[in-house]
Amino acid sequence: MKLPPVEYEAPTTVADAIDLLAEYQDEASVLAGGQSLIPLLALRLARPAVLIDINGIDELSGVSAADGWVGVGAMTREYVAEESQTVADAVPLLAAALPLIGHEAIRSRGTIGGSLAHADPAAELPAVARALDAEFVVRGPAGERVIPAAQWFEAYLTTSRQPDELLVEVRFPAAKQGTGTSFQEVARRHGDFAIVGLAASLVLSGGVISDARLAFAGVSDVPVRAAAAEDLLVGERPSAELFDEAARRATEDLDPPADLHGSSDYRKTVAAAVARRGLRAAADSANHGASERQ
Amino acid sequence: MAAIAAERYTGASIKRSEDPRILTGAGRYVDDIKLPGMLHAAFVRSPMAHARVLSVDVSAARELPGVVAAFTGADMEAMTVPGPDALMALMGWAGPMPEFTLLATDKVRFVGDPVAIVVAESRYLAEDGCELVEVDYEDLPPVVDAAFALDPASPPLFANLGDNIARPHARSEFGDVSATFAGADLVTDFHIDVHRHQNVPMEGRGCVASFDAGQGVMTIYAATQSVHVTKIAVAMRLGMEQDKVRAVAGDIGGSFGLKIGASREELAAAAASRHVGRPVKWVEDRGENLSASGQAREESFDVRAAVSNDGDLLGLDVKMVIDTGSYPGMGAMVPGIVEAMFPGPYKLAALGFESTAVTTNKACYVAYRGPWASETFVRERVLDLIAKDLGLDPFEIRLRNAAPRTDPPASMITGRPLVGVTTLEALERVAQLVDFPAFRRRQAEARAEGRYLGIGVATFIEAAPGPRTPEAGSGPMGNEFMRLQLTEDGIVVLFTGQMPHGQSHQTTLAQIAADEFGVPFEQVRVVVGDTDVVPFGLTGGSRSATMTGGVALHGARQLKAKVLDFAAHLMEVSPQDLLITDGNVWVRGDPATAIAVSEVARRAASGPFDGDVDAKLEVEAAFDGGEGGWSGGTHCAIVDVDVETGIVTVERYVAAEDCGALINPAVVEGQIRGGVAQGIGAVLLERSAYAEDGSFQSATFMDYLMPTACDVPRIEIEHLETVPLDADVNFRGVGEGGMIVAPPTVVNAIEDALSPFGVRIYEQHLPPARILELIAAADLGG
Amino acid sequence: MDAITMRVNGATCTGSPEARKTLADFLRDDLNLTGTHIGCEHGVCGACTVIVDGRAVRSCLMLAVQAAGTEVTTVEGLAPDGGLGPLQQAMWDSHSFQCGFCTPGFVMQATAFLSDHPDADEQQIREALSGNICRCTGYQSIVDGVLLAAQRNRQAQP
Repeated sequence: MKLPPVEYEAPTTVADAIDLLAEYQDEASVLAGGQSLIPLLALRLARPAVLIDINGIDELSGVSAADGWVGVGAMTREYVAEESQTVADAVPLLAAALPLIGHEAIRSRGTIGGSLAHADPAAELPAVARALDAEFVVRGPAGERVIPAAQWFEAYLTTSRQPDELLVEVRFPAAKQGTGTSFQEVARRHGDFAIVGLAASLVLSGGVISDARLAFAGVSDVPVRAAAAEDLLVGERPSAELFDEAARRATEDLDPPADLHGSSDYRKTVAAAVARRGLRAAADSANHGASERQ
Repeated sequence: MAAIAAERYTGASIKRSEDPRILTGAGRYVDDIKLPGMLHAAFVRSPMAHARVLSVDVSAARELPGVVAAFTGADMEAMTVPGPDALMALMGWAGPMPEFTLLATDKVRFVGDPVAIVVAESRYLAEDGCELVEVDYEDLPPVVDAAFALDPASPPLFANLGDNIARPHARSEFGDVSATFAGADLVTDFHIDVHRHQNVPMEGRGCVASFDAGQGVMTIYAATQSVHVTKIAVAMRLGMEQDKVRAVAGDIGGSFGLKIGASREELAAAAASRHVGRPVKWVEDRGENLSASGQAREESFDVRAAVSNDGDLLGLDVKMVIDTGSYPGMGAMVPGIVEAMFPGPYKLAALGFESTAVTTNKACYVAYRGPWASETFVRERVLDLIAKDLGLDPFEIRLRNAAPRTDPPASMITGRPLVGVTTLEALERVAQLVDFPAFRRRQAEARAEGRYLGIGVATFIEAAPGPRTPEAGSGPMGNEFMRLQLTEDGIVVLFTGQMPHGQSHQTTLAQIAADEFGVPFEQVRVVVGDTDVVPFGLTGGSRSATMTGGVALHGARQLKAKVLDFAAHLMEVSPQDLLITDGNVWVRGDPATAIAVSEVARRAASGPFDGDVDAKLEVEAAFDGGEGGWSGGTHCAIVDVDVETGIVTVERYVAAEDCGALINPAVVEGQIRGGVAQGIGAVLLERSAYAEDGSFQSATFMDYLMPTACDVPRIEIEHLETVPLDADVNFRGVGEGGMIVAPPTVVNAIEDALSPFGVRIYEQHLPPARILELIAAADLGG
Repeated sequence: MDAITMRVNGATCTGSPEARKTLADFLRDDLNLTGTHIGCEHGVCGACTVIVDGRAVRSCLMLAVQAAGTEVTTVEGLAPDGGLGPLQQAMWDSHSFQCGFCTPGFVMQATAFLSDHPDADEQQIREALSGNICRCTGYQSIVDGVLLAAQRNRQAQP
């Protein structure tokens, strides 16, 4: 299972990387952590003419907080984000999802940007980004632009990044006071991709849900926001009945894919269970946070 | 390594002599072998399940820089001698033999069927070359299930066989089947399926073939369970005399039945190496291992049970269908063993059994750890199902039906005496270890909270090697041979045909020989893996504990007698006055007379001696298994089933086992735990999946899911006091038992967990989606 | 390709691998360090695990050229002169392994994990090792080896 012949470039600046992308367009694959791309190459399912290895571009790594946002450089390793106090404090949903990504050795190399640019709908980070309305900063020959999560994920393994653009940073909004989060997933084994996963974030103000964000992994070809459920939740007090109804609304229109690991119906059933559990856990997390602050 | 001061090594968990190299990366597996000028092979493989091959063009591949050669199926036929599958021939298969070529010529018969071989300077280049090979296929209707294979309209995979029935329908009856069924209070029918899954050793198949043209000798470095069988297979196919072929094996990364003989790919690599005049390495990648190396267990059973109202299992009538895939492997031989073992350790009075083996467009059926395991699965499932039908406790029904140990022993209705079987003791020990009433209380409380716990029990016996019978004392696959020698360094060397691939033979056999001969453990060396040096042998069938342990014991005894005879001559005493302890020969009662065995050996090597003095300190020993015996045990699992997601957790797992006298308890426990892990994997995770068009869907580890450290709990093991049958050799095999009995243990537990829903389970593979389907179907009254 | 340099087990190594050659293949073929094993080549089984700049990584998912300028430790480099380090010794004492093919990957993953989590409990160890597949042992003996190593390490602390 050896990689096919491929040209290789290792730019050390973003500008050089963009020049290469402009030259090769979709004949190039960007090599970040490699944890998704290299298996595809080994299976000879991906056949780029050139690999543009961006691991040498130092300016792409780093976590910073400013103006209510946390900026994560695209090449920030998943384990670095996992160990980041800034992420733990300001983006708890991301912090909750990171330990579920594969195994430690995967997170040693895998990157935040790489996972989000690969956009596997069963992966954890796309659901987190979609739930939080993260922003994707790409840079191309024409300059920089910012793409909201709702427009980033276009189709299966397809984002709105143009072939001559490089994802340089992902920005997550800092969590407001009263936020509770949870990432629930049902997976065949510890560390596997989710059969179905849910990124959930609730803000409780005075015991009432003032903000609700739910995004599923594994139920479509992109992460899916459960907007109907969110509308139901806002303005209500957490309760088992409320969460049951929210779970029903979140899943009634889903038409998940079928594969070896589960039928469409199975995924739909599990999505409802995951929604109930996720909402309960997020509400508990919000209450726990509130009592900690008291 | 510090000398181990132990009066007796046998029975102690002596640290393995294999481990220093294993733990430091100094093991030598076949992919570690590098020979000067070595080339690498890769195969072009069929993407079609069933097709005619209209043309194969390797010319573009041959042009690629770095590619040294490329051969089609027709080329390969010209380089080799056609013949039957070597393993089937060796095992005396007398049934119809399919005709096929090493690489596909006129047709391909499964996705992954090798069509051409490319040999290049690196595996990277060989795979590049494979992509340049053009093959023209003409689709044929795929035969992907037994139902179609049994249909005379299905296109035969092998033209010379005429249909897809690999073994003709054959019915046997034991006891009075019709009377038993006529007299039963209750007769019920079940249809039970076991799914296709596979060995998946961490190291795949592979070899390095090196032909010395000057000497006309082919050396094949192999990953195999028998270097001799590999040698024979290579010699046969290459048309070489056997003494011109040498098979060598070092460390082997697991096998579980997969690596026996030589596969088509290994034979093609060997032929290519001879033709090209350079060594050729072929090591399969994981995709090849999953899709093409072979699979197992795809069997279905129609079972009719004759039962009394009190829960006596009186008789069984079984119709078995086994899907043996395409090319010949072991599949057609499995039903015979299943039939023989079906009664298990129970008082079954009558058995009717018939079986059909079919060929389908899937990878071939290979031996997988306990190839006959379905008999235990089906029987242990049926016992639970009958218990439910009658309102009896599943544990009680086993106690009721297990054959007690009598003198003379009862026999299975299929013939073999149940001598020394400790099934009742195993059941009772499990009951002591697992407080069933306490569990039932906990289960009830959990159910009230919406949590579903379940408990399952299953019991088995295994002919490891099986009891001595009047007709033949020999263990499975014949007598076991060993050559033993005392060297001038004072080392007792054991040359064995065993080919350990995780069994720790280099430790366990040394323990036995050290004890018997009288040297420290460090003064025994076990030599394996070279047909020029070791006698014929094969590791498999859980035979080695008895057969090889036995030949090591008796051989060491014989060698000791020889050494004492010679030492007696040296020391001018009678052999009866001499002892060997701690590596020294000395006169009983007079330690001052001690001389090291190395000194004795040195003196023996410096002859000449009088004609009546035997100074050759070497023996060739053979062992027929002695009184043999059964291994067996009872396993119990407690599971937690999440009925919202279908996820099953094995909360607790207990095994009471009897594998005779233990050579090395840690080794025994490791074998049991590994087998149980495979059984848990089979039920919850593993399936070799084919689509309706014959395409293979589980060719990576993302789809073929292996159990991990989070899926296998601590396994509590109790060693039962065994029944000694033989004066000396009471070690019995343990390699396969865990994998045989774990699947029904876990499935029984799952059904128990889901009993509030009325779920009945007639299959072995229960991934989360299936659990929810079963619950939904039961709710609907299905 | 231009030549690359890396430090492997404390020694400076150079080579000129093709860009597409994985670190696993480079270690095994070019540097003759065959202790690192290849089990799947798609990053699931963990047999190829090595330590790069202090982190356990799957060497089948790194290109050799990506390891230029890094510090790589393979199983051969854990203990001096073919001896056994404390983890290896504990695994030997615990009968951790059978066929040995998965062993180097487990040893390297456990080494990295224990250095960051010296007081891990059994569940944490199982989760940390759940990305390494063993077909022979059922994992209990491996977990016991890691637990024993951690315990001995704590006892050795003054």
